[in-house]
Amino acid sequence: MKIMVCLKQVPHQDARLDINGDGTWIQEDNIKFEINSYDTYALEEALLIKDAGEAEVLVVSIGPDRVTQALRTALGMGADRAIHVNDPEIQGSDSLGMAKVLAAVAKEENPDLILAGLMSEDANYAAVPPMLAELVGIPHTTAAVKVERSNGTLTCDREIEGGANEVVTLEAPCLVAVQSGLNQVRYASLKGIMAAKKKPLDVKTAADLGVADQVGAGAAKVSVTQIAPPPKGDTAELVEGSPDEIAAKLVTKIKELGLL
Amino acid sequence: MNFAFNEEQEELRAMARGFLADHCSSEQVRAAMTSEQGYDADVWKRIGSELGWPALLVPEEYGGLGLSWVELVALLETTGEALLCAPFFSTVCLGGNALLVAGSVAQKQEHLPALAEGQLRCTLAFSEPSGRWDADGIASVATPDGGDFVLTGTKRFVPDGANADLIVVAARAAGSSGEDGVSLFLVPSDAAGLTITALPTVDQTRRQAEFRLDGVRVPAEASLGEAGSAWPALRKVLDLAAVGVSAEQVGGAQRCLDLSVEYAKERVQFGRVIGSFQALKHKAADMMLSVECARSAAYYAGCVAAEDGDALPVAASLAKATCSEAYFRCAADAIQIFGGIGFTWEYDPHLHFKRAKSTETFLGDASWHRERIAGLVF
Repeated sequence: MKIMVCLKQVPHQDARLDINGDGTWIQEDNIKFEINSYDTYALEEALLIKDAGEAEVLVVSIGPDRVTQALRTALGMGADRAIHVNDPEIQGSDSLGMAKVLAAVAKEENPDLILAGLMSEDANYAAVPPMLAELVGIPHTTAAVKVERSNGTLTCDREIEGGANEVVTLEAPCLVAVQSGLNQVRYASLKGIMAAKKKPLDVKTAADLGVADQVGAGAAKVSVTQIAPPPKGDTAELVEGSPDEIAAKLVTKIKELGLL
Repeated sequence: MNFAFNEEQEELRAMARGFLADHCSSEQVRAAMTSEQGYDADVWKRIGSELGWPALLVPEEYGGLGLSWVELVALLETTGEALLCAPFFSTVCLGGNALLVAGSVAQKQEHLPALAEGQLRCTLAFSEPSGRWDADGIASVATPDGGDFVLTGTKRFVPDGANADLIVVAARAAGSSGEDGVSLFLVPSDAAGLTITALPTVDQTRRQAEFRLDGVRVPAEASLGEAGSAWPALRKVLDLAAVGVSAEQVGGAQRCLDLSVEYAKERVQFGRVIGSFQALKHKAADMMLSVECARSAAYYAGCVAAEDGDALPVAASLAKATCSEAYFRCAADAIQIFGGIGFTWEYDPHLHFKRAKSTETFLGDASWHRERIAGLVF
């Protein structure tokens, strides 16, 4: 069984974010990056399947040179090999452009299962996984909080409104976009980290994948025109007093607002 | 000699910092240090079985990873930052290190696989009530008796001594002095005649214990190396341990600086953040100078330890002197920058201050190591 896991490298949760000069994205210089946390759950799910039997785990990521670190981390956690799509021409792509790159990889690799995080923590579109499934022509589900396998069929509990779960079954090959918290993500072991340097990490361009004319800002149907921090308001109310008094005032306020 | 960590070493540090952020936060350190055992057994179990840290120095033929002191220094810097409460330092740098340096193949085969998996906690019982860190500090006596040795004496300030499964005990032949007649023995913690008492020491993030050896009988096979000739090996173990402590001290000093700068940027006094005052800027700059000098000394010592060269004694003492002073200075200055609350229970500087004081004296303080360097150089 071959499992392809889509990883995205995003700014570290503790990174200080400043908006870049033209106001379309954050300044990426001199900040730390990490694997999108939703994707770590997808990777862990793939590694659990690998631990349970024979499976090859392939991790794929798109981005500049820094993305190598995320892929090495994934290899250190137990993935078998990695593909890094590193091409400046892809910069400026919208979700569809990214999905086309991943779909080109998937068509070359023919995985039995594609796992991805529900969304990325920086853009929050949650659009790439369903687009990828559609482009590859395989069934998919999203927001999976439980994944079970049996003879080529996956049964997934997916989170829906009101705290309820919907149970869906999918025939492999298929794609599952996972919700955070469906497993306990492992740490890379020392042994895994040292073994990772010997595992294959292939670098490809959009041209290598045959999608050079479908990616980049020129091909994007969606472009970010401006991002901005939330405006500062003057509606904040400072609650003062002893801890007990503050707690009492907060409860009163919450009741006034009808939140309790 | 390359002072930059390579890709794998940087990944190791990132992984360690991620784990420690999740499992060794300020709150978790406080919970562990006030627990009965003094550390979180689940965290230690994960460090052994999941992360494989105790396997770092253990050769592959004994179930380890066969990595070097460069990787260990990189790792210890992160555990020092976080004030990790676990028998990691004692197991790897003290007891395990003694086995690696002085143990026979049979002794390594017996103990190192379990140590590598985190199932065997080790430590080294060297110092005694005299508090000396030279060979004359060993007063405990090993008396041959038939095919055995009988150990008597008192060992004090033994790191993680109350939790160790296996203890490497330094003792000397009756009537010997100085570097002559010194032996190292493997003693199980449940040996008859061995009384272990936890000491009420200042640094509760790494507890110490006292061992009373009241006729503890060990077989001749328990000797690490030839009985009576262990001082050169023991000196090397102490030097390597000093490198390990130095790396931890660098991490702790850096954390003190980071905490201080973060606080100075937030704390407002006289209408402005205190970090804008020149006196505090100078103090922070001096702290940074200390940290960077200490880091250079510790990394250099780590490289020398990895190469197993003749420069180890000087490099180890240089690192220990520099890092001890840097950590204590940074911890003390952090308390000054925080002001009165710096020594309150709720804030972390006091934890580092206590660790800094404890590690400053452990294995010899800065003055002791300066004196030693003078003796080695001239």
